Amino acid sequence: MPKNSRGREIAEVIPDKCIGCQLCLAACPVDAIVMDKGVAKIDPEKCTGCGKCVDVCPVNSILFEKVRKKKKPVVAAGPVPVSEYGGVAVFIEIHQDKGAEVAWELVGKARELAEKLGTPVLGFLFGSNVEPVAREAIAYGCDTVYVMDNPLLQTYLPKVYGKALAEMCQQVKPEILLLGATPLGRDLASVVATVLGTGLTADCTGLDIDAQERLLLMTRPTFGGNIMATILCRNYRPQMSTVRPRVMRLPKKDLSRQGEIKPVAFVPPQDELPRIIEFIPRAAEIGGVDITRAPVLVVVGKGACNPQHMPMFEELAHLMGGAVACSRPVVESGLLPYVRQVGQTGRTVAPKIYIGVGVSGAVQHLVGMQGSEKIIAINTDRNAPMVQIADYALIGDYLKIVPELIKGFEARATGVKGAGA
Amino acid sequence: MHIVACIKQVPDTAQVKIDPETKTLIRTGVESICNPYDLVAVEAAVQLAEKYSGKVTVITMGPPQAESALRDCLALGAQQAILLSDRAFAGADTLATSYTLAQAINKINDADPVSLVLCGKQAIDGDTAQVGPGIATRLGYNQFTYVAEVIGLDPASNTITVRREIEGGSEVIEGKLPAVLTAELNLAAPRYASLPELVRSLRQEIKVWGARDVAALPEQVGLKGSPTMVREIFVPPARGGGQVFDTNEDKGNAVAGFLDTFFGKEQRLLEELLAKDGHAQE
Repeated sequence: MPKNSRGREIAEVIPDKCIGCQLCLAACPVDAIVMDKGVAKIDPEKCTGCGKCVDVCPVNSILFEKVRKKKKPVVAAGPVPVSEYGGVAVFIEIHQDKGAEVAWELVGKARELAEKLGTPVLGFLFGSNVEPVAREAIAYGCDTVYVMDNPLLQTYLPKVYGKALAEMCQQVKPEILLLGATPLGRDLASVVATVLGTGLTADCTGLDIDAQERLLLMTRPTFGGNIMATILCRNYRPQMSTVRPRVMRLPKKDLSRQGEIKPVAFVPPQDELPRIIEFIPRAAEIGGVDITRAPVLVVVGKGACNPQHMPMFEELAHLMGGAVACSRPVVESGLLPYVRQVGQTGRTVAPKIYIGVGVSGAVQHLVGMQGSEKIIAINTDRNAPMVQIADYALIGDYLKIVPELIKGFEARATGVKGAGA
Repeated sequence: MHIVACIKQVPDTAQVKIDPETKTLIRTGVESICNPYDLVAVEAAVQLAEKYSGKVTVITMGPPQAESALRDCLALGAQQAILLSDRAFAGADTLATSYTLAQAINKINDADPVSLVLCGKQAIDGDTAQVGPGIATRLGYNQFTYVAEVIGLDPASNTITVRREIEGGSEVIEGKLPAVLTAELNLAAPRYASLPELVRSLRQEIKVWGARDVAALPEQVGLKGSPTMVREIFVPPARGGGQVFDTNEDKGNAVAGFLDTFFGKEQRLLEELLAKDGHAQE
């Protein structure tokens, strides 16, 4: 094996065999190969001995003997026999030892899809001592819950969960796999789709079945929420999709539902794994407010970005059992922290009542709150996009409107409470 | 230390408007920009390279015009830029994109070993957040998504410690290099390019690699390598058509009028809210 002056083992071209196709030139990462009188020639001083040229040479004209670590391709190649796959599976995410609400929302949706397909709803569950969660999954609508129960699955690591969920899919062969579009779910879904070489559609707001073709129709906002696209995955399985929390309706829990719990063997990965040093709960950072969970949001926009008026907004929010959030300019002004920001670069919210005060409604903001059940806009500008999409718009000075609202809500809320009791 | 930053050129979605009459997208005049999250990733990469005397290579897959996004990144202080451009790459979904980028990183790594790959957490046009983890999985690197802070990097032990934003809080995690990091907006604040850097960014040569250059298999790139396909595109049905109460026109009565209507129409919603009051914090 020839070596260069730095002692690197290098590749060498056999001129008689070379057909001058230049594929090796293209493959060489260090530009060590040039064409010389119609055949490839390797500059021994530039060559790093990577062997890329050997791989691409169609006529084996390059001599190279160094033993190389051959990476196994992680992606399964080619379409799969679609008919071998069945069942609508839901990845049951665990959040603080309980099933995450988004998982149950997806189980509810999975039931609907599975009925159209005439196939069962499957729960895929990973964790340590998670049998109670498996039983809950059945109560929410799973027919069979496949469980990998292992102390190593107590916390989420992409390599561990990625391997576990990919292997679960390879064994159980579901035709559809749904995950919550949480930080964990989005992270994991992409790993698994890559390992399985299948299609994944993120953040779907609508899921349906094309009964004729037996395909999952995945609808999601794209282009910054300006347009909707319906996407499908015809030749690969499972058809994977993530859905944001609170997009699908939470089904009723039925503790009398019957179902099966099946343990599946877990084989830990061999890699040296990252180590979680600490978890810092967000509640401590922001005084216990999670704007994605508040049923009512009073959202402060650029038009109401005044520190003196914050107590008034807090009062209105408190009165309705909600929280104060804001649009991006308010975070940039320093009035409220980033965790309170609604919108594309902030958080997606879908409260029962959204009250925008001085929020004009830039597209980036709208995509983060369009799922709200009722939208109330308070704005001076009748033509503001937020006013256009609102169910109720109050035009005028928020300094006059908000105090009147507070008074009015106080007076009327007691009436509703009385009627509801 | 060699850091690769992956970027994407995107339409500036902030400029996109819907024609109020026809309810269709107005696409004309929409500028292409470098995805804001990716600029954060490049800035973070440059800061790390400055601290650990390393260098930054920026790559993107896209049409020839995507070169301008790469130049923006050179102006931020990246040393090298490579454009992955080939007609065969067109129509790629996230799976085919992560394949092509991983192939390019493999080639870059062969010439000059890569310790770290940085990506934005997502692109503002597609918002999928899938390409970063896809690259990590293909390369077999550790992946740390939604990174808000690089707490420490130890080249001697080949270890990185980061803080990630996750559900309910943040997580401090430590793992081996090479690794893929995806950047949250607060990871770094992209600097304003200095004049000399700006001039350099405009003059510097940008390498262009095609499918053959990165030894990509034809069936794994572009449309052919994409399992997902778009069946239909449509403009979302407008919400709107709500009631307007103008306090300027109807002095004094507008808010009361709103409250009457609201409490009348939304009785069910309000009852639900008030009934839940006691355990709303659950």
